[in-house]
Order: sequence, then C-alpha cells, then structure tokens
Amino acid sequence: MKKEMLQFSDVSLIYHTKRGETKAAEHLTFTIAEGEFVAVIGPSGCGKTTLLSLAAGLLKPSEGTVERHGSCGYMLQKDELFPWRTIEKNIYLPLEIKRQKTAQNMERARALAEKYGLGDFLQSYPSQLSGGMRQRAALIRTLATDPDVLLLDEPFSALDYQTRLNVTEDVSEIIRSEGKTALLITHDISEAISLADRVLVLSKRPARVTFTHQLDFGDVVNPLKRREMSSFSGWFEILWKELNG
Amino acid sequence: MMKKKQSYSAEHARFLKKRRKNLVLVWSLRIGLLLLILGLWELSTQLGWVDSFLVSSPSRIGKTIASLYRDGTLFYHIGTTLWETLVGFVLAVVLGYAIALALWWSETLRKVLEPYIVVLNALPKIALGPLIIIWFGTGSKAILFMTLIVGLIVAIMHMLSAFIATDHNKILLLRSMGASKLQILTKLVVPSSVPSFISMLKINVGMAWIGSIMGEYIVSRAGLGYLIVYGGQVFKLDLVMTSTCILCILAAGMYFLVVLLEKLLVKNSES
Ligand SMILES: Nc1ncnc2c1ncn2[C@@H]1O[C@H](COP(=O)(O)OP(=O)(O)O)[C@@H](O)[C@H]1O
Ligand SMILES: [Mg+2]
Repeated sequence: MKKEMLQFSDVSLIYHTKRGETKAAEHLTFTIAEGEFVAVIGPSGCGKTTLLSLAAGLLKPSEGTVERHGSCGYMLQKDELFPWRTIEKNIYLPLEIKRQKTAQNMERARALAEKYGLGDFLQSYPSQLSGGMRQRAALIRTLATDPDVLLLDEPFSALDYQTRLNVTEDVSEIIRSEGKTALLITHDISEAISLADRVLVLSKRPARVTFTHQLDFGDVVNPLKRREMSSFSGWFEILWKELNG
Repeated sequence: MMKKKQSYSAEHARFLKKRRKNLVLVWSLRIGLLLLILGLWELSTQLGWVDSFLVSSPSRIGKTIASLYRDGTLFYHIGTTLWETLVGFVLAVVLGYAIALALWWSETLRKVLEPYIVVLNALPKIALGPLIIIWFGTGSKAILFMTLIVGLIVAIMHMLSAFIATDHNKILLLRSMGASKLQILTKLVVPSSVPSFISMLKINVGMAWIGSIMGEYIVSRAGLGYLIVYGGQVFKLDLVMTSTCILCILAAGMYFLVVLLEKLLVKNSES
C-alpha cells in the first residue's frame, strides 16, 4: 500500500454571499496515493476549482476533513506569470515567498528550466514567449519548491488545440519523470484519459464523486500514444455517458 | 529583450532610418509651429492688428522678464511657486499612497471611510479658502495645504482603485504558495500598480499646479499666481502673460520629469 498524499473525507463546501448560499461540494470522499496521477472531470461550474482550492488549503471545508501529507504546488488555467519579472525571476517566486531562496534551490530551479527547454528564455519577459512556453514556465515555477503534490486547474484550456497537445505532452513527461503526485482538473474527457492513472467523475453542482475509474493503459503514459490505443475510444464513450447522463 | 549591438538586415536598417526621419520631421514641425505662433503674435501687435496692451507680445514678455530679473524678483517668485508646488506634490503623492495602502489593507477601514472620501473628492477645494487662511495664515503654509488637499484625494482614489484591481488569480497563486498579506502587497500589489502610479503622478502634476496657483490667488504676497492676480488688478497684462508663459514652461518641465521617471521605472518590464 502506497503512502496517501491527499485524503478527502466526507467534504462539503458552501459559499456564502449576500445573495445567498451556494453548495459547491457535497460529501466528497477520495484519496490520492503517492506518485499517482488523478484526473477529475465534471461539467463546468460543478465545483472543480472549489475541490482544488480545498485540496490546496485555500478554502476550509464546511464539513468533513481534508488531510494533506506533504506540500502542494498549484497551477492555474492561465500561466499568471508576472509581466514585470523575467522568466528566471518568475520561477524563483515561490522560493521567495517560502523564504527558501538559497543558492542551492535557485540552482535546482534553474536546472529544471534548462532541462525542460527554457534555458534560452530565462532572461526573457513573459510577453516574449508563446502561450505554450509560458505554460511550461508556469509548471517549472510550480516545481521550483519541489512540492509533493501538483494541483492543476485546467492548465491547458487557455491554449489552442495544437499547442494544447504539445504542452500536454510536455507536462505529462515532466510530471512523470519527476515522479510527482498530481491532481488534474479538466472538463476535457480525452485530456483526462490521455494523462491520468485514475479518473474521478463529478456530478453537476454540488460536486459529488459519481464514478471512479482505474485506467488500464498498462505502462503507456505518453498522451499521444494513449490517444492511438484502441481502448481510448472505449473509455471516452464510458466517461462521456457518465458525464452527460 | 533585444541583444545589444545586433547587426540588422538592410530592410531593418531602412526601417530604422525612416523612423528617425519621421521623428526629426515631427520635432521640426513642433518647433516650427511654436515659432509661427510667436511670430504671428509679435507681427500682429507690431502692425497694430490687435492691441498689444490687451494681448501683450513676445517682445514685451521678454522685456518684462528682463526687468523682473533686474529687480531680482524673477527667481524669487518662480522659486516661491515652484517650492510650494513641488512640496505639495510630494506630500500629496506620499500621503495619498500611504493612505491608499492602509485602505487596501483593511476592508473595514475602507468601507468606513468611503463616503468621506467621496464627499471630499466632490467638494471644490477652493471653498476651503477662508478656513485655510484662518488656520494657516496668509503665507506659504496655507498654499502648501491647498496644494496638498487638491492632490491628496486624487492620489488616494487613483491608487486605491489600482490596488483593488489587482488580478485575483495572481493573488490566489501567491496564497497557494503560502504568501502572507505583506508578501502579496510587496510582490504583487505594488509592482503591478506601477503603471497606475505613473498615471497618478501625471495627473497630480496638474493638480499640484492648480493647488498652488489657486492658493496664491487667495492668499499670497509672492509667487507666479500672485503676479498674475496682481497684474490683472493693475492692468499690467504683460505681467499676466509673462507669468502664464513661465508657468507653462515649469509645468511642462515637471511633466517631463515624470515621463523620465516612467522610462526609468518601466524599462525593465516589457509590457
Ligand atoms: N468565491 C465564491 N463565492 C461564491 N460562489 C462561488 C465562489 N467560487 C465559486 N462559486 C460558485 O460555486 C460553483 C462552483 O464553482 P467552481 O468550483 O469555480 O466550478 P468549476 O471550476 O467546476 O467551473 C459555481 O456555481 C460558482 O458560481
Ligand atoms: Mg474552474
């Protein structure tokens, strides 16, 4: 039995605003083990981002408990790179915030950037990079503090289709080779199938886990290869029905 | 970031040359236009098309400046107004920025003070003239105070709305890294509001001149505003025109300093 990195036990969340209350998550229960890549799919507005905010500890559950074992790195839909900082300085940002900006950590972050093709862009400003490159820089920034769990909130949805395939490929490769645990939120079924070990399907709001699937691609973790496998369309059909049923 | 000393293609060289030429053209036209206006002004008064007693003329302005200079009062008046304006400007900007930070920091404070700020913003500051004279006398202190209050509210409102407009997702990102409120302020809110800070400075240059000249209209015994009022009262329109022209030059100079600061502050971020 692998170590559990993240555990939701009967978690509910209600947003309170002056116009009323919105129940965004209801009785969420699931665990994510070390090294696992879990995708969560659900219709838009069902509470996916809420789930991730709960996982990151940015929101306190109204009911139930969220247990985190280890540090989290959060990656959002847009890269949110700071335009007044160079790529290198952007990548050091979490080190600065956590007061871990040691020579060793900076070196590690820079090495990661170089390893994954950002070496030539370290002194560039975000506006000089393509959307795909920027998203890659955002991932390296997330990895800079060497978090145990990556929380990814639709990180590809702002990219055009071609770039999306490439960046998905890159990100998958980076996450797998760094051996990270990942929780990916998406509304794109094929993205979930091509990336994850396990897929959780959420209901319409308030989000509840309606189905869980362990994907059976064996050792194939490459998203493009998975897309070419015969079982891919089978999974797509199953998940599509569950999502729309 | 462009590499320095790059060798350009012939086409790019042509492009740069054309740009340079265009810049030269624009500047020559600007200066030409100024000379044309001054020339026409002078000519029309010399030829008696308009009464130089009413509209003055460049040569009469020159003479007035020379005589003020001989009196030794030219730099005294300029210095007085400049000092009031600059100190009032700096005070308004620094205090306004600090108050805006405090209001950003505490939502409660912001909500409590909001109606007061709105009312103060709408109030024509000149209405406070008599009070200011009673509180601060008729010297520079009164004018400084006038300059300060004219700029202060603008500075507060401008910076506060910039601080509040900070991208929510970027705040979320920092919070997910475990950032404290102070870190969010220094790493994100302050740097992302630099463009607004610059535009606030530009607006406040104008506000400071309004404040100081208005102040001098009401109370003073020295300064360019005083010269304008005095010149008007005794029908020395040369003096009025001269002071106005000097004001134009000073205000433009101060504005260019802000533009220079802008170049310095934002040269690092290409956006
Ligand atoms: N801060 C908030 N305050 C009030 N309601 C919110 C807040 N954030 C999200 N919601 C509501 O909660 C629901 C779920 O939102 P979200 O988790 O962002 O959905 P998703 O990411 O799946 O699109 C939506 O109906 C949204 O309007
Ligand atoms: Mg969302």
